[in-house]
Amino acid sequence: MDFELSDEQKDVQKAAMEFAEGEFDPDLALELDRARGFPESIWKKASQLGFIGIHYPEEFGGQGLGIFENVLVIEAFCKVDSGIGSALSNVDLGSEVILRFGSYEQKKNFLPPLTKGEKRLTVAFGESEDGKDFSSISTVSERRDKEYLINGKKRYVLNASLANTFITLCKEPKEGWIILIVERESDGIEIHPIEKMGLRMISFSDLHFKEVRVPLENRVGSDGDGRMEVDYCHQAMGLRSIAQALGMAQGAFDRAMQYAKQREQFGRKLSLFQAIRHKLADMVVSIEVARWLTYKSATEYDLGRMDPGFLSIAQLEVGRRLIGVVDEALQIFGGYGYISEQAIEHYFRDAWALGVELGTEEEQKDLIAEKILGTDLMKK
Amino acid sequence: MFFELNDEQKGFQKRAREVYEREVSPLVEEYERKETFPASLFRTLGKEHLLCLRCPKEYGGPGLDKISECISTEELNRICVGIGAGVMVQGGLATDPILHFGSEDLKWGYLSPAVRGEKIGAFALTEPDAGSDASGIRTTAVKQGDEYRINGSKTFITNGTICDFVTVVAYTDPAKRGIGINLFVVEREDTGFSVIKKLEKLGNHSSDTAELAFDDCLIPKGRMLGGEEGGGLEQLEETLKSGRITYGARSTGVGQATFEAVLSYVKGSVRHGEPLKRSQAIRFILAEMAMSIEAMRYLTYRGAWLFDQGMATMKDASIVKLFCTESLQKIVQKAMAIQKNAGLMMENPVQRYLRDARLFKFTEGTSEIHHLLIARELGL
Repeated sequence: MDFELSDEQKDVQKAAMEFAEGEFDPDLALELDRARGFPESIWKKASQLGFIGIHYPEEFGGQGLGIFENVLVIEAFCKVDSGIGSALSNVDLGSEVILRFGSYEQKKNFLPPLTKGEKRLTVAFGESEDGKDFSSISTVSERRDKEYLINGKKRYVLNASLANTFITLCKEPKEGWIILIVERESDGIEIHPIEKMGLRMISFSDLHFKEVRVPLENRVGSDGDGRMEVDYCHQAMGLRSIAQALGMAQGAFDRAMQYAKQREQFGRKLSLFQAIRHKLADMVVSIEVARWLTYKSATEYDLGRMDPGFLSIAQLEVGRRLIGVVDEALQIFGGYGYISEQAIEHYFRDAWALGVELGTEEEQKDLIAEKILGTDLMKK
Repeated sequence: MFFELNDEQKGFQKRAREVYEREVSPLVEEYERKETFPASLFRTLGKEHLLCLRCPKEYGGPGLDKISECISTEELNRICVGIGAGVMVQGGLATDPILHFGSEDLKWGYLSPAVRGEKIGAFALTEPDAGSDASGIRTTAVKQGDEYRINGSKTFITNGTICDFVTVVAYTDPAKRGIGINLFVVEREDTGFSVIKKLEKLGNHSSDTAELAFDDCLIPKGRMLGGEEGGGLEQLEETLKSGRITYGARSTGVGQATFEAVLSYVKGSVRHGEPLKRSQAIRFILAEMAMSIEAMRYLTYRGAWLFDQGMATMKDASIVKLFCTESLQKIVQKAMAIQKNAGLMMENPVQRYLRDARLFKFTEGTSEIHHLLIARELGL
C-alpha cells in the first residue's frame, strides 16, 4: 500500500493550486454567483494550461494522466472557490463515456475541443428528480435509414444552456436503451432553465427534444442495453462529485480556521475556546476520511476495477462529511457567515447543491446493502 | 396539568392563521425575491391587532400573554421566516424594553404607534466586533447638558433600513464593563444617525437587515430608558428571555411548514417504480420529524407558560431556544436531502426553509452561547 502522491501528482496538485489561487478572484466569485454567470476567461486559461481533460490520452488533447490527477485538480479548484471550482470541473461531463465506449472518430471529433476550451459537454439522462431511475425514462429515439429521431423531455440537466453537446440516454423501440451524442445546434432542442439555490455557475435546465435528428454514427457503444454506459458514466460523475466535495470541505475548513485565529470575543481569539477547537478538530477528521475515500475511489477507477459498492460508500460518507464540515465552518463565522460577502455563504449553498449530485443517503444505503446482502429491494 | 390550548387561545390561533394566510402568503415570493420587507404590512397587522401582542391594553395593545405570542409566532413563521423577523422585532426587542423601562412619554411616543404599525421599530445591540460578547460593545452615549451624544456602529440590525426608531444599546460609562450600559431610543430623523448599508444574506431575504452608524448623534436625555445611568444589560434580561422562547415558536413554525411540504412530496413521489412512501427509511424520517415537532412545540409552550408565571429562568429560555433551533436543523436538512434535485429549485420552499432556519443557530445567542448559559445555571 502506498499512501503518498507521486512526484508528478504533487506537481499537478501544486500547479492546480497556484492557478486557482492566482485566477479565482474572490470578488469575481461573488459576482458570478450573484449573476448566475460562468467563468469564461478562467475556463479558457485552465484549458490552455491543460487542466481540462488532463486524464484524456494525448492524442485526444489531454495530458495522458489518470482520473486521479483530474481528481487532484478538481479538489484544488473547489478548495479555492466552491463555485468557480465546480463550474470548471463540470465542463466535460460525460466525456468518460466517449473515452471508454466511443469510436476512434467520436473521440477525435468530440474530445479535443473540450480540452481546448472551445466546447462543453454534458449528460442528459434523467427525466425525474432521480436521474438513475430508468423506469422514469421515456425519451424515444427511433431509428430511420440514416439517423435517429429523438422525442422526449429530460429533467434537471446540468449545464444544458452552456454545453454544445449532450450525451443523451434514449430508448430505441427495437434496440433498447442507447446513448446518443446530440449537438445542441440540432433543430428541435429547447432548453428551459430552472433557478436553483446553489452552484449557480452551473446552470440547471429542462431539455426538450422535438423530432431531433441525430446521425447513426453518433451512437456511443454498440450492443448491449446502454445500462453499462450509464452506470459507468454515473461512476465517473460520482467520482468528480466526491472530488468537488473534498475540495469544498477543505476550502470551508481553511476559511473557518483562519477566521477562528483572527476573531476575538470575550478578549480571546475564537481559536482558544475549547468548543471551537473541537469543531476544527472534528472537521479535520472529516476531511481525512473524505480524502482517503476519494483517493481510493480514484485509484480503483484508474486501475479499471471500480467497485460501485465502494463508490456508494464513498459518496455516502463524503457527502455527509461535506455537509457537516461546511455547516460547522459557517457556525464558526457566526452571523458574518450568513452575509453573502463572505465566501462561506456560497460554500453552504454549493455544498447542498453538490449533495444532491452525490445522491441521498437512503439510495446509497440501498446500494451498499444490495452489495452485502445480495437482494435488490427495489427490483423485487 | 392541561395540555390543551383554551378556547380563547384556539380562537386566536385560528384568527392569526387566517390573517397571515390572507395578508402575508401573497407577499412572500415577491419580497423574498426583492430582498426587502413589505413595510406596509405593519399597518395591516396593526389594524388586525397582531403587533406587539403583549403590550397592555392601556397603551393600545392586545394585552395577550406569552403563550398567545408563541401561537402567533408559529403561525407567521410557518408562512415566512423573513417577514416573521421584522414582526418579531417590532413586538419584542425594539419595544419590550420601552414597555418595561420607558417613561410614559416614550411609551406613548413609540410603543403605542408601534402597536398600530404606524412606527416601525428596530433594536441595535450587535456590533462588528461584539456579537456573542455583548459587553464588548464600543458604542458610547455621553451626556452633554440635556442631551446624549451617541457614537458607534451596529450591524445585523433587523428592520434597519425601514425603521422609524431604534432602541440602541450603548455605554454611558465604558470603564464599567458590562455594567455602565444604557438603552436609548433614536429616531430615524435624528442628526448623526444613518443607515450604512443593507446586508445581503444566505436566507431571511424578506427581512431587512442593515448596518447602522451613529456619528455624533444627539438625542434628548429623556430618550434614555430608566432614570439613571447603568444597568442596561439587566434591563434587557427579561426581553432576551422572552426573545429566546420566541425562537422555539419560530422553529416550530418552520419545522411544521417543512414537514407539510415534505410529507406531500413523499406522498406524491415514485422512485424506481415504487411509491416513495413505501420506503421504510423515508417513513422513519417522517416519523422522526413529527416527533421532533411535537417536542419543540410543547417545550416552547412550557417555556412561554413559565414566562407568563414569572418563573422562567435564563436556563429555561436557553433550553427552549437551543433544543428547538437545533432540532429544526435536522428537519430541514433531511427534507432537503430526500428531495434531491427538486429540493434545489428556487420555486421549492424547502430550500428557503433550509436557508432561513440556518440563521436560528446564530441569532439571539449562538448555540454555543446557549450551551454555556445552561451550564452556568447548572452551577458549573
